[in-house]
Parts: sequence; C-alpha cells; structure tokens
Amino acid sequence: MIQATDLAKVYGDKTAVDGVTFTVEPGRVTGFLGPNGAGKSTTMRMIMGLDAPTRGTVTVNGAPYAKHKAPLREIGALLEAKAVHPGRTAFSHLSALAATHGIPSKRVHEVIEMTGLGAVAKKKVKGFSLGMGQRLGIAVALLGDPQVIILDEPVNGLDPEGVVWVRNLVKYLASTGRTVFLSSHLMSEMAQTADHLIVIGRGRILADAPIQDVIEGQGKARSRVRTDRPEDLSRLLARSGVTIQAPEHEVLEVSGLDSRSIAQIALDNRVLVYELTPLQASLEEAYMQLTKDEVEYRSDAAAAHVPLPSGSEPDVQASAPAQEVSR
Amino acid sequence: MSTIQHEFRHATAPRERLVGPNFFRILNSERIKFLSLLSTRILLLCAAALMVGFAALQAWGIGTFYESSRRPPGGAAGGGPAGQGGVPDVTQILHQIPSAGVSFAQLIIGSLAVLMISAEFSTGMARSSFAAIPTRWPVLAAKAMYAAVVGFGLTYIGAYVGGLVAVPILNSYNLHLDMASWDVQRLMLLNAVYVAAVTLMGLGLGALLRNSAGAIVTLVALLFVLPIIFAIIQADFFKETRKYFPTTAADAMFEAGSSAAHNTAYLEPWQGALVLAAYVVVLLGAAFTSLKQRDV
Repeated sequence: MIQATDLAKVYGDKTAVDGVTFTVEPGRVTGFLGPNGAGKSTTMRMIMGLDAPTRGTVTVNGAPYAKHKAPLREIGALLEAKAVHPGRTAFSHLSALAATHGIPSKRVHEVIEMTGLGAVAKKKVKGFSLGMGQRLGIAVALLGDPQVIILDEPVNGLDPEGVVWVRNLVKYLASTGRTVFLSSHLMSEMAQTADHLIVIGRGRILADAPIQDVIEGQGKARSRVRTDRPEDLSRLLARSGVTIQAPEHEVLEVSGLDSRSIAQIALDNRVLVYELTPLQASLEEAYMQLTKDEVEYRSDAAAAHVPLPSGSEPDVQASAPAQEVSR
Repeated sequence: MSTIQHEFRHATAPRERLVGPNFFRILNSERIKFLSLLSTRILLLCAAALMVGFAALQAWGIGTFYESSRRPPGGAAGGGPAGQGGVPDVTQILHQIPSAGVSFAQLIIGSLAVLMISAEFSTGMARSSFAAIPTRWPVLAAKAMYAAVVGFGLTYIGAYVGGLVAVPILNSYNLHLDMASWDVQRLMLLNAVYVAAVTLMGLGLGALLRNSAGAIVTLVALLFVLPIIFAIIQADFFKETRKYFPTTAADAMFEAGSSAAHNTAYLEPWQGALVLAAYVVVLLGAAFTSLKQRDV
C-alpha cells in the first residue's frame, strides 16, 4: 500500500506536484494517468525516496521508503528505462543490485528468464533496444519480490507482444495481493489494464476512482439522435443544462437529458426519431475532459497570444470529433 | 489463467527471511559494480603500465646521466638534481625511481575514482543504486573504501614492480637500488597513501559535481595546473599559498623520515599530511552532505 498525504514538490518557482493525497491499495492495478509534466514521475520518485518532498509525506506499507530494513523487498520500481550503466551487462547490473539485499543469484536468473532477457543477459546494456531496457527495468523491479510494484510508463517502446505481457504480468501481480501502481499516457492501455485510476494534472489529483466511474462520471448522459427535423427537435429540447450539437446532417448529440426524456419530448411533439442511442464516453474522452483545463492552461501559458476557445461551457464541442463507445 | 500463472510463476518468489542491506552486502555490490566495467580495468591497467614504464625510463635516464657525468673526471658542474657538486649524488633520486610514475598515474586513478560516482549520476544508475540503498551514505562509503584500497594498492604494487624492473637497468650502470631499504619503502608507502588521498578527493568531487568531465577537470586543476601556475608567479602570496596544494603538501609529507635537509618551499611533513587529510575530509564530508540532501 502506498499512502501520500499532501505531497508536494516545488522546483524553484515551478510546482511539479501540488499537495496530492491518495492511497494505492493492494490487490488491484492502480493506473496513474496524466499529461506530460503533470507530476507523475516526480510523485513516483518521491515514493521511492529519490526526491525529497517539499511538503507532505508518502509512506509505503506504513513507513517512509528509506526507513524500511529491506527496501527492495518492499517496493520494486521501474522509474525509467535504462537506469543502468551502459557498460555493464544485464546480468552484472542485476547481480550488483541483488547483492545489496543478499538476494541469491538463482533469483537473478529467474527474473532474467521471466523477462525474456536470457539471450542478451551477458551483453552490454549499451546495445539494448528500448524494449529490452524496459524488460531489464521490470526485472529489477521484480528482483526483490516486493509487495509493491511501481512501473513508470512500462509499455513505452515495447512491441505489441510485450505490451500484452506487461498487462498480464501486472494483473497477475495484483491478483496475488500485491500493490501495483502503473503510470501510462496510453489511455487505451489503462482501460485494459487498470482497475482503479488516479488522474493527475498540473500536480493535482483530478480523479481518484474505479476506472468505470471515471469513464461514466465524465460523460454526462449523452445520446445520439437521428431525426428528419433536427432544427425543430433542437428547439424543443433546448433548456438549461442541455447541450445540443449537430455533428452531421439529421444527427443531434444531446447531453444533459436522458434518452427516455428525449423520446418522450419527440413523441409528444410528433417528431420522427429514427435512432436514439445512449453514448458512453471512452476513457480517452473522460481523460481529455479531466485534463482539458490543465492542458489549456499550459498551451495558453506557452503562447499567451493564442485566444482561448470561446464559450464558458467546457464540453467537447463538435469541432473535436469525439470517439464514442456505443453501449 | 493457468498459462499466465505458469508464465509468471517467478514474478513472485517464496518469501524468505526479509534480508536487507548491510555494509558487507553493499561492499559486495560495489565490488561487482567496480569489476564489471571494462573501462575500470583498462584505466587500472594503464595506471599500472605508467608506473612500471616510468620507473624503467627514470632508471635508464638516471643511469645514462650518471654515466656521462662520471666519465670526464671532475664531472659536470652543478651535479644532479640533488644539488651536490662533483660526482652527482644520485642516492636521493634513486629512491624515488619506483614511484616515478605517480605524478601521472595519480591522474588516471583519480579520474577513475571520479567516474566511480559521477557515472552513476550521468548514466541514471544512481536511481537504481539509491532505490536499493535509500540511506545513500553507505554506497559512497563503500566506494570510498574501494577507491582508497585500489589507489593505495595499485600505487604500491606498481611502484614495487617498477622498482624490480629498474634494478637490473640501474645495475648495468653500476647503480644500486635496494628495494627493501627504508628510504625506498618509505617513499613507496607515502606515495601510496598520497594516491589513496587523491582517489578520495576525486570521489568527493565526483559526488559533488555529478559530472564526470567537470570533476576530472577540477581534480587535474587542483593537482596539476594550479600548483604550476602558482610556481611561475613570483610573489610571496603565491609562494606561500602554493604550499597548501595537495601535490605540494604531499611533497612535504614525502620528506617524513627522510635524512635530507628540510626544503623551505614546503611545509613540515606533518603539516603536509594534515593539509592533505584536510582536502580529503572537506571534499568527502561535503560529498556525504550533498548526497544526503540533494535529490537523485
């Protein structure tokens, strides 16, 4: 279990992590999602005791990481691929780290075999591809058979087979009761791997909920309506809290009103409706929604003369074709 | 799920005793790190070759000089570097032959010590190392032990082998070097202590600057460049300050136990030793503090 309380990190005048509080529970895969520079890696480094928090605390299995007698057996982390001296072989690298905890060489061979590095274990890391570097990083993370596994962007640079492998691995580890904390910018990957999601943007937690709740919580109930009288229906449906877009001819996308109410209004006013489909936001959409303000702020700050999109309603507008998952 | 269970059967291991790091395990880890790099072995080999080569070269040089100054009776005025007239008294110089390569070998060994820690930071290895040892200081302490032992051992052994190579060369010029004599052993040991101090300074600089090139340049400047610059400038301030550079302090220390008259360009031997120790303590102390406080 990882517990962060009001955890903050300030570099000079830049706040990387701005007082986050969250708990990563054992027995499930917790995804850590956020745009670039949102503070994911900084948070993970603070968990590992590599960066000292400016404020707040973070504990692993009840104690600060550095206080544990056998740190590698508490947490294994892949913080970035190739945190390795390139002149060393994978085997030497693992052996040196194993030696610090008296981990037998049998275990070194096990993690080498398991991560599929057997053929290159005696080669210098210099020549490793990004994917092999990731596998070595995962081997390091598993070396001490830790209770908590932290993986920062583990599928970066992996081939599709490797991606599936990592997905199965983390699910397996969670199924054995271990705590798995996984960051990724690949939302589709998160959707398939994580059980729980912590979304971070500009150093703040934007969402901390089961993945299904994050997806559902963001898309207000939306429906796609096909009608031969879109103008009339729009007028009839218009009221406060309801947003209507017309992405195509004879198609309306209505949010803020459930499908049954739309059907009722159409029936009462004798408007023909030939499709009425409730829409669910994809994780990608939910994520965009959550981080929209953060991202806007950033690009705005980078280029202050670029005008903000007008309109106070922060909904995704028709200009951005939304990806929907039909229920 | 059963195939997955089989595939990942090694993802978890039977939970043995919760064995954590202790200093011997960390020493063992640092030993693996030290020996598993080809660059380390190449640098060590170069330093050893320099030590032996310079001893041989120096023996040959002194031999020919001795011979040429002896042939015309009366000898060349001015004598040897030891400063006697007539037939040069080369005994003092002879004693220094085994350690002749130290002034160059120290740069290689010192650079190696810098790399022991700076490469951790430049390669990202530090994140792995300090995630394993979050208390951090034992990693630097273990490195310091290896650096000092390697610096001392390589210098002493290099000088010894160099001396063994030099003896037959000197013999052919009718010069005799007794490797077992106190003066020879004294200089070899003091040089070995000095190089061990240089490695600790290098390690300290590497940990402070975290940049290989920067730390090596700083070390070379401190050991080599600045003392030369200060020697050239003929002002009292520079003359006085020069005494406190590591190299000059070491030269003062080398006079310890020597029968030769004290050279006023240097500090007293014990003062020299203290100055050298101060460099080590200040740089390593700052390194430990910085390692504890700075983010990795």
